[in-house]
This record gives sequence, C-alpha cells and structure tokens, in this order.
Amino acid sequence: MNPIVPSRRDFLKGAAAAAAAGVVPMSVVKLAFADPALDFTFGYISDAHIQHISGTKFVRNWDRGLIRAVAETNLLNPKPDFVVFGGDLGQLGMKEELDHGAEIMSKLRHKTYYVMGEHDYYLDLGEYWSKLFGPQWHSFDHKGVHFIVLNSILTFDDWTFNRWPSAEQRMLEMAGLDNPNGSPFMVGEKQRAWLKADLDKVAKTTPVVVFSHSPLQKLYKGWNFWTDDADEVQALLRPFDKVNVIYGHVHQIQYNQVGNIAFNAVMATAWPWPYPQTYAHAEHAMPVLTVPMNRADPFHERDATGWQFIDVHTGRVALNYNLYNNTARTVAFNPASGRPEDKLFQDPAKRIPPQEHY
Amino acid sequence: MKRILLGFVAAAALVGAAAMAADATAPPLGLPPVPIPADNPQTPEKIALGKKLFEDKRFSSTGQVACATCHDAQKAFTDSPLTTSEGIKKGGKPLTGTRNAPTVVNAAYFVSQFWDGRSPSLEDQSQHPFVNPVEMGLKDHRPILKIVRSDPAYAKAFEQVFGKKGAAITMKEVEQAIAAFERTHVAGDSPFDRYYFKGDAKALTDQQKRGFDLFVNKGRCVSCHVVEQNTALFTDNRFHNIGVGINGIQNDVPALAGEFLKAKVTLAEVDVKILGDKRTSELGRFAISRDFEGLGAFKTSTLRNVAVTPPYMHDGSLKTLRDVVVHYNNGGVTKEGDPVNDFLSGGIRPLNLTEAEIDDLVAFMEALTSPQFASLPSGARTEVKP
Amino acid sequence: MKRKIAVAAAAAAVVAVAFGITVRADEFTKKDQERWEKEYQSVVQKGRQLFTSGALGTNGVACAQCHPNGANTHPETYPKFQKQLGRVIALREMINWCLQQPLEGKPLALDAPDMIALESYILHERRGVKLEPGKH
Repeated sequence: MNPIVPSRRDFLKGAAAAAAAGVVPMSVVKLAFADPALDFTFGYISDAHIQHISGTKFVRNWDRGLIRAVAETNLLNPKPDFVVFGGDLGQLGMKEELDHGAEIMSKLRHKTYYVMGEHDYYLDLGEYWSKLFGPQWHSFDHKGVHFIVLNSILTFDDWTFNRWPSAEQRMLEMAGLDNPNGSPFMVGEKQRAWLKADLDKVAKTTPVVVFSHSPLQKLYKGWNFWTDDADEVQALLRPFDKVNVIYGHVHQIQYNQVGNIAFNAVMATAWPWPYPQTYAHAEHAMPVLTVPMNRADPFHERDATGWQFIDVHTGRVALNYNLYNNTARTVAFNPASGRPEDKLFQDPAKRIPPQEHY
Repeated sequence: MKRILLGFVAAAALVGAAAMAADATAPPLGLPPVPIPADNPQTPEKIALGKKLFEDKRFSSTGQVACATCHDAQKAFTDSPLTTSEGIKKGGKPLTGTRNAPTVVNAAYFVSQFWDGRSPSLEDQSQHPFVNPVEMGLKDHRPILKIVRSDPAYAKAFEQVFGKKGAAITMKEVEQAIAAFERTHVAGDSPFDRYYFKGDAKALTDQQKRGFDLFVNKGRCVSCHVVEQNTALFTDNRFHNIGVGINGIQNDVPALAGEFLKAKVTLAEVDVKILGDKRTSELGRFAISRDFEGLGAFKTSTLRNVAVTPPYMHDGSLKTLRDVVVHYNNGGVTKEGDPVNDFLSGGIRPLNLTEAEIDDLVAFMEALTSPQFASLPSGARTEVKP
Repeated sequence: MKRKIAVAAAAAAVVAVAFGITVRADEFTKKDQERWEKEYQSVVQKGRQLFTSGALGTNGVACAQCHPNGANTHPETYPKFQKQLGRVIALREMINWCLQQPLEGKPLALDAPDMIALESYILHERRGVKLEPGKH
C-alpha cells in the first residue's frame, strides 16, 4: 500500500485513491484468492496503428501513444514475464509502418509475442510481418499455462484474392472500420484444424489463454467486432476447465463470459473507439457484463487509450488497465460469480457519469 | 472525514459555501467567487493577523526569512527574478531549493498547492516552508508557537480572532490566519478581462487579439490554461508533463522513480527531498501520486500576471515568455530538435508558429496583467536581471 | 389604380394559361420532393466521402478513424459549452476543431460547401435521435 498517508487520503481525488486501491503500477496485484505459486504477469500493448504520412513522417499522436506504453511497461517492477503485442502495429500494413513500430517496440526490455491484426495483414498477406515477428499462429507453454496465438482476422478467399484490383486497394477497404465493402473476420478452416490438433495434446485441466485480434465472438458486424466462425472456435475450447480469450481490435474495455470462456478486450495505444450502442443505427450485441470505459475527452490526446498488464492466478486472468489521467481499472475473474468483473464499477450504484454519458 | 471525489466538485461545494458565508464582495472581473472553506471564514481581524504572520521573519532559524521573503508583495508576491528561491543563509550564502516561487496572487483558486500539488489547501501549504531545511530551516513548529503564544500583540490578536490563548493556540490557527490573508490576494480586471467579458473592443491591441486567437486555436493553449464563457482561471488545476526539466533526467527516470518508491518516503519527507535534490525534483507529480501519469508532470500555472512574474516553469529555467512560447512551439523541448521525453503529455506537439505568431502570443499574455501590477518590470521579451 | 391592378392580374392570368403553369405559393409535388431528396443525399454522400478520406488534414487521418459511422459526434447536443474552446459553440466549430487538432489541418469557412456536406453526413447518421442541446 502507498506509504504516503494519512494526509494524502484527506485530499486525494477519489480517482487517484481508487487507483491506489485498484492498481499499483509498480508491483504485481495480489488478489485474495490467488495461489502465489502460480502467479505471474505479462504486459499487453495493442493497436498502435503507426500511420505513415510521407518520408520519415508518421502520425505523431499514434507514435507517442506507443512510445509511452513501451516506456511505462519498462518501469513495471517486478518485471512481467513477457509482453504481447495485440495486433494492428501498422495502419496500412506498409513496410515503413511495421519497421517504425518494431523500432519503438524494440525498446521493450522483455520478450515479446506478436498477434496479427488486419491492418498489418491485408497489404501483403503477412509476408513482411512474418519476417519481423515469426509465425502467424502458434502456441507455447509457460508456467503451466497453455498459450495460443491466432490469426483471427482472415476472411473469405474470394474477398482476399479475387475482389480487388490491387493489394493497396484491398488494404484500404479493410482499413475502414465502417466500410460496407469490408468482409467479416474469421479464423478459418485450416487454422481451426491446427487448433484442434494443438488442443488435443493439452490436458483439460490445463489453463488455456488465447491471444486473438478479433473478439472470437459475434458482437457488431457493422464494425467487424466479429469472428464469423466464433461458434466453431468456442466449441473447440469448450472441453477445457479454464479458458481466457484476450482480444484487441475494439479499442475499448469489453469483457464477457460464455460458458467456460472468459473474454477480455484490451485498449489501443492509438485512439479509442465508441461503443456500438452509440451508433444510432446499429444492431449489436454488447457483452452485457461490460461496464463501459469513460467516454473519451477529445482534448486529452491520450484519454481512453492505454495498455495493460495481466495477472494470471490459478489459470484465471485479471486485466489491469493503465488509463491515462483516469481511474485505472481492473477486470478480474471472480470465482464466486464465475465471470470477469470490474473491481470498482461492476455494481451499477458505483458507476460514474463518464461511463454512462455517451 | 469527508471523501472528496473530484477537485472540481470540491471547489464547487466550497463556492456554494462561500455564497452562504458572510463575504459579499464581488470577485474581480473575469474571476469566480473566491473559494472559502466553511471552517475558515474571512474577517478583517483574521486577515490582519495573517499578514503579520506572513511577514514575520522570526519564524526562521536565522530570524531573517519570512513567507514574504520569497512571496514579496512588491513583486506580485514572488521573488522575481530569482530562478529558484533563496532561504536561510548558511556560511554567508543563502541556501536554495529546486523550485521557483509561485505567486500567491490567485493561488486561492488552485485546488492543490505547490508545483506538484502535494498540499491540499492554502492552510496546509503554509506549514511546510517553516520546517524545510533550505527555506526557513526550523526543526519543527515549536518556535512559532512559542512566539504567537507569548508575544503580547499576537496573543491579543489570536484571542480576538479565534477566542484562543496560550497553549490552546495551535498551528491550525496560524495556518488559517495565513490562508485568510492569502485569499484576499486575487486579481482580475486585466485588459483581456475587459475585452472578453466586458466587450471593450479597444482593451486589446490588434496584435493581442491575434495572440488570443492563437491561444485558443493554433496554439492550443486554452486546453490547459482554461478560459470559459464568463470567467477565466487560466489553469485546469491538473498536472502535465510539458518537457521542462525531465528531459535532463530522461535516461535515469526508471532508476530515480524506483529508488524513490523503494525509499518509502512519507509526505513530510517528500517536501524535504524534492527541494533538496534537483534530480528527484524533476519527477514532479510522481513523487506524490506514485503513478505513471505524474512522471515529470507539474501543475498548470495560472497565466494571470504572468508577464510580471519571471522567470518561468517549476525550475525557473525559462527566462522570458518568448522562451516559453518557443519551448511549446518546439513540441516540448527547449532547444529545437532535442529528443522529446517518453512521458510527454499527449497535448504537447510542435505548433508550427511563425516568428510573428510567437510575438503575438507573447503580446496577448502581457494583456493578462491586472492593473495593480502593471508597473512591474515585464519578463515578456527580455530577461529581467536582479 | 384599381383598374391597373385588374389589368395586370388579367395579363398574368393570360400568361399563366398560355404556358399551362399554376403559379401557387408553396405547392410542391411528389416529384419535387424526390428530386430534392436526391439533391440532399448527394451532399450527404459527399460528406461521407470527405469524412472517410483522410485528405481534410495534413497527416492522412480521417474523421471515420475515430468516429465510425459518425458515432460519438453527438450533433444533437450542439450548441453546447465546449470545455476547451471555453465557450458555447455550434457543431461546425467543433468540426473545425477536429480539422485543426487531430487532423492537423486548416479550418473550413462555416458556410463552405465541404462544411455543409460534413454536417449533412454527420446528422444523417444521427437521424431520429432527439435534440438535447447543451448536453455535455
């Protein structure tokens, strides 16, 4: 606990006090029900959207977001076991963008795993990305947990190979979130077959954590908050006792529980996205459990962006969202209720106006 | 103990209390009513007592330093043009800290005091410099209490104001009197106020009007130096890393921050540590909030009377207002092209101002000087030497 | 005087009958409505094109990157007090703020055709939502 007391409590803005209670960024959060022997943390940075303008100029605001996330992750003490980059390193999949992003990420003093995002993929179908970061889907084990990295932003072959006259055009079409010419994300048959074979070798009691860019759920098709074969993928994960899916793409706090699977979205370092319910003409499925993050303040360039560090306790994850100039949030699996919950704001009586005022 | 949710809410509540309290004096043009805590109403006697305490040099280990030494009424309650303040003398030379003395004028509108907001009120703030080794150098507050309890003039005043005498007089009463005195020093009614809130089109020159347009639009200044529909505090009461000072310790931030946390300092010790060690001082708000957001961040100053309170920034490192605008124009570095620190506030970026636009902004800031300070030397364009 | 007016009216009626026109104020047909709706939609389309183009500013960022389908623009809350412009503003001034700040470009004139188009698109995506001017 913070040693600056007691006068600090007298005047600290509630936000900071809650932050001290919810997240101490310089140390591992120890939750009451954790078995210390199985505790570890990893960092998660996502959706940097490094955007090239011309020459050596990149959109400064997105650059600064990633730079800051990297600098802060490097300050974590004790050090996380590894860091994951959740996808969309570049904006239009250009070599310049991936190189610039990789250069910023190289300042991280941790081993880093990379997840493919659609903004990385659709220019050259991941060719340069694979040179930088390795296989587009794979798995690894760490301290008794089975980790899976998926490329969940693939789409129908016809759209990918036949629809567009050039790779650049294809990338541009997929880059527009609300573009009616887009195409739904999916993991695809080939990868699902690999996933089945991979999972066959894993004991049902082993905790499983899946890193995906798309939500592996069907949330809102208009903005591709969607994985078309979510049902099939979830079916493959169903036999396991404890499954956690961590996804990017949505640039907002979301979380959900479907059967045995806990779903958690991560923040972007670049910019926030509105919740689908703020679009007057959307028909969407917002995960009911989710307590929205604060509505973004456009005058604060880092507001509603952030990065996170994730604690793993006995096979369950707790996401600690580091939100700039805002109350930090922790969404942790609550074994009593069997689902992820926001430690501060789950109770409707505890909500604050920026969470409801959209 | 009341839990205060948001500083702004607290200020609003206090303003509400003020509305019901005795003081019916209208605030200066361009400013809201002065926030007055319900437990420390203003009275003329209390204010006079506070002034006496504020100016009393006996409250220092050498008997030479008072609050008024660094917050001199003749210098808009600063010690301009000193870069960092000078306290008691040791070996014939004054000791200095790491921070520039902010003005008391309009400090009543701040939600927290000090550059890093480590004090929640004017009352609380007043106790710290007495016991800081490089300021007034007392070991504790007992010498002060001894004087106010035994000096006949003080004894009479404390009894009159607080109904207390002898051992019943505590530092709380001393703080309240000083704070009451400080709350009388608010100043608005500048040429800008007359232009913007009174509609006097002649109050600003054409150049200053151009400067105001830049202030709101291209310069983005108004993002933190708040101007509102009916009042302008010129501060958002928040903390921002704008790249002053921290650039010098950039590579050492992880080590410094880590050491600082490991040392597990209490708030009282923080006051001593940050004035005693420049490199720790550059951690800024982090020393108080212990979160990433505070790294290298300092409280947004009010810009009222800024032209007559040089030099600028928490460390006094920028000598003129022009230097300040150039620093912002460079996107958060003093020398153009220097690398920007990793923790820079999101709103700071190169502004692409022309030389003429920089001059316009400087001219606008000169229009924020209240009439009572108009004759003081201006640090707008040229360095004010001691 | 009366005679002159009567003559003028008679002359106008003759002209009207000669050209088969009914000259009545504020009488519009279904065809007019369809045509005008098409005119409006063409401007909405232009607005959508500008909104997604990335050419409005100098850094390639498009409005739609942060506001897919115009979400979170809240046009129905304007005019309102906009915190950092420090005063009550109308929607177009906020559009200009976005053009200057995140898009690092130049503001549009408040009556520029592109501004009208942007506003038309934004309001079109928000059609049907009740007005709440002043809401933060």
